[in-house]
Amino acid sequence: MTQTAAIFLSAYRELSARRLFWLALVINVLVVALFASLGINEQGISFLGWTFDSPFYNSTTTSPETFYKSLFVALGVDWWLGLIATLLALVTTCGIIPDLVAPGSIDLLLAKPIGRARLFLTKYATGLLFAALQVTVFSLASFAAIGLRGNVWEWGLFLAVPIVTFFYSLLYCICALVGMLTKSSVASLILTLLAWTVIFSVNLSESIVVAGRIANSLETVAIEKELTAGVTEDGSEPLEESDLETLRSDLQRAKDNRVDWDRAYFWFHGIKSFVPKTGDTLELLDRWLLASASMPTRDPDSERGPQRAFGPRRVKRGEYERALKEEERSRSIAWVLGTSAAFEAGILLLATVVFVRRDY
Amino acid sequence: MKVHPTDGGLAVDVDGVRKNYGRRIRALQGVSLHVAPGEIFGLLGPNGAGKSTLVKVLMTLVRADEARGSVLGHPVGSSAALEGIGYLPEHHRFPAFLTGRQAVEFSGAMSKVDRPTRKRRAAELLDRVGLGSWMDRKLGSYSKGMKQRAGLAAALVNDPKLVVLDEPTDGVDPVGRREIRDLLVEMRAEGRTVLLNSHLLSEVEGVCDRVGILVQGRLAAQGTIDELTASSRRYEIVIAGEAPVWCDAETRIERVPAGTLQGVGIAGAATRLMFLGLDAHGAQPLLDRLRAEGRTVVSVQTVRESLEDLFLRAVTDPSTGLILKPGAAR
Repeated sequence: MTQTAAIFLSAYRELSARRLFWLALVINVLVVALFASLGINEQGISFLGWTFDSPFYNSTTTSPETFYKSLFVALGVDWWLGLIATLLALVTTCGIIPDLVAPGSIDLLLAKPIGRARLFLTKYATGLLFAALQVTVFSLASFAAIGLRGNVWEWGLFLAVPIVTFFYSLLYCICALVGMLTKSSVASLILTLLAWTVIFSVNLSESIVVAGRIANSLETVAIEKELTAGVTEDGSEPLEESDLETLRSDLQRAKDNRVDWDRAYFWFHGIKSFVPKTGDTLELLDRWLLASASMPTRDPDSERGPQRAFGPRRVKRGEYERALKEEERSRSIAWVLGTSAAFEAGILLLATVVFVRRDY
Repeated sequence: MKVHPTDGGLAVDVDGVRKNYGRRIRALQGVSLHVAPGEIFGLLGPNGAGKSTLVKVLMTLVRADEARGSVLGHPVGSSAALEGIGYLPEHHRFPAFLTGRQAVEFSGAMSKVDRPTRKRRAAELLDRVGLGSWMDRKLGSYSKGMKQRAGLAAALVNDPKLVVLDEPTDGVDPVGRREIRDLLVEMRAEGRTVLLNSHLLSEVEGVCDRVGILVQGRLAAQGTIDELTASSRRYEIVIAGEAPVWCDAETRIERVPAGTLQGVGIAGAATRLMFLGLDAHGAQPLLDRLRAEGRTVVSVQTVRESLEDLFLRAVTDPSTGLILKPGAAR
C-alpha cells in the first residue's frame, strides 16, 4: 500500500508540474460556466440575458432539469470530456509508460521490492488519474451549476466519473501498450489516435448498418400493411392494380435488401464485439441521466417522409427514432462494458507480459 | 548506525551466472561472485565486459539465463533480497519535478520504509551528502554532481545492508569524489557491504577491500589487491654504476639463488635490478654478492603491481600480448 500510494503521489506531482494539467482544469470550469450561463424559459433558450425563441426547446416542452442534464451529456460529456479533454489527457499522459521504461528511470523502480506486473499496472492506473481528476472537477462544477441554475441537485452526474474514466482507459491501454513497445511518447500518441479513429469508424459503420436495417424493417412492415389494407395511405379510396404492383415490387426489393442488411449487420456487429465501445460507453450516461427525464418526444405517427440518410418514404420519423433508440438501449450494459473491458484486459495483459519479460 | 551483516553468510554469493543476448552475445559466461559482509568490493572491467549486466542481474533488471546463489541470504532477485539493498544505477534519472527530499522519500516508500522513518532519514541523509540547503529544491535545478549525491542519499534511505553503486562518482568534481569515497568508508564502518562498479581504478584501489575483474563475461580475477598482486611482488635493488655482468642483456634470465631476475633498468647513473619472488631473507645473498663485487647498494625496496598494472595484465591476452577486444564474448 505504501508503494502504491507513493506511485500515485508521484504521479500527481508529475501532473501538477505540467501546465497542460492546469490549463485543462481551467477550461473545464469555463465549459461549465458556459452552460451555466444558458437557461430555458417559456419563450426559448436564454443566454446572458438574451432570449432566443424556440418553439421546440422551451420550458413548456423541456423542463429545466432535462435541459441542463441534456447540456451536461451532449456538450459536457460527449464533446468536451469525450473528445477535447480526452485529447488533452492523451497528450499529457502519453509519456508515462515511455518514461517508466526509460534507461535510468526503470532501474530505480525495478530495484525496489515490488513485482513487475504490479508496478506496471499501478503506473498504468496513474495514467488514468489525469482523466479522473478532470472529470471529477467537471462533474463537481456541473453539479453546482445545475443545482443553482435548475434547482436540481442531481447526484447521478457523478456517474460521469467512472464512465468517462473507463472510456479514457479504453484508449489509454492502447497508448500504454504502444509506449511499452516503442518507448516513444510521440509514437504512442499517434498510434493511439489512429486506433481511436479505427474504433470510431467501426462503431460508426455498425451504427449506420443498424440504422439502415431498422429503416428496412419498418419499411417492409409499412408496405405489408398497405398491401393488406388495399387502400390509399389516407384510406379514402382503394388501391389500383398498378399501385398494388408497385407495392409488391417495393416489398420484394425491401426483402432482398433485408438479406444484404442482415449480412452487413452480422459482420459489423461481429467486428464491433471485439473493439471497445467508446461511443456506447458514453451513451450509458445518456441512458441513466435522461431515460427518466421528461425529454420531448415525437409522435410516432407524425412526420412521414424521408428522414436522415436512410429514411425510406413510408417510414415515419417518430417511429424510426423510437425504434433506433430501442435498439440502442436493447444492448445490455454488460455487453457494452463487458466486451470493452475484455478488450482492455487483453491489451493490458499483452503490455504487462512484455514489461515483465523484458530486460532493462 | 551499525548494520547487522547477514547471518554469517556472504552478502553476495552467486555462482554460474550466465546471460546471453540472442545467440551471438554471451554477456556473462558462468560468473561467480562472492562478497563478504562489511567489505567494499570493487567490480572492474573494460567496457562491455559484463559488469553492468552482472549488477543488473543482481538487481533483477536483467533476467539471467542461469544463476545460483543468494543475496543477503535470499534468492537472487527476490523481494526479500531487494528490501535490504540500496542501489544507485549509472545514468540514473530521478524525476526532475521532485525535490531532493521528495525523491529520497519516494525511494524510501518504494522500499517499504514507513513514513516517519523515511521523512527523518531523508533529511539526515541529504544533510550528510551535503545537500541540506538544497533538499527542497527541484532536482531539475541540480548539477550532475548534486544529482549523484541525491542518488546516494536515495540509495541509503532504506538503511540497506548491501549498497550497490554503479559509477557513483560519475560527473562529480574532485572534492565531491573525495567526499563520496569518505562516505563509502563510513558505510563500511557502519557494517554495510558495498559493491562498487567503477572504471576509476584509483578510486577502487583507494577504498576497496577486494576487487573482481570481469573480462569478456568471465571473472578473470577476484581477491584482495594484495592477493592479486602477490605474484607480481618484486624486490628492487638500486646500485651505483652499471649492471653486473651476470645481469646483462645476454644473461638476464639467469636464475639467481632465491628469485628470478625480472629486468634491469637504468636510473641515471644508477642501475635498477628487479627480482621476482624474493623476500627479505632471500635477498641477502644477492646483496652479499653485490657488495663482494664492490658495488654500492643505493636502495632496496619491495614493489608490487599497481591496480592499473593488474587490470592491464588481466585484460591482456597472454598468448598474443595484445589487449583483449572490448565487449562481451561473441
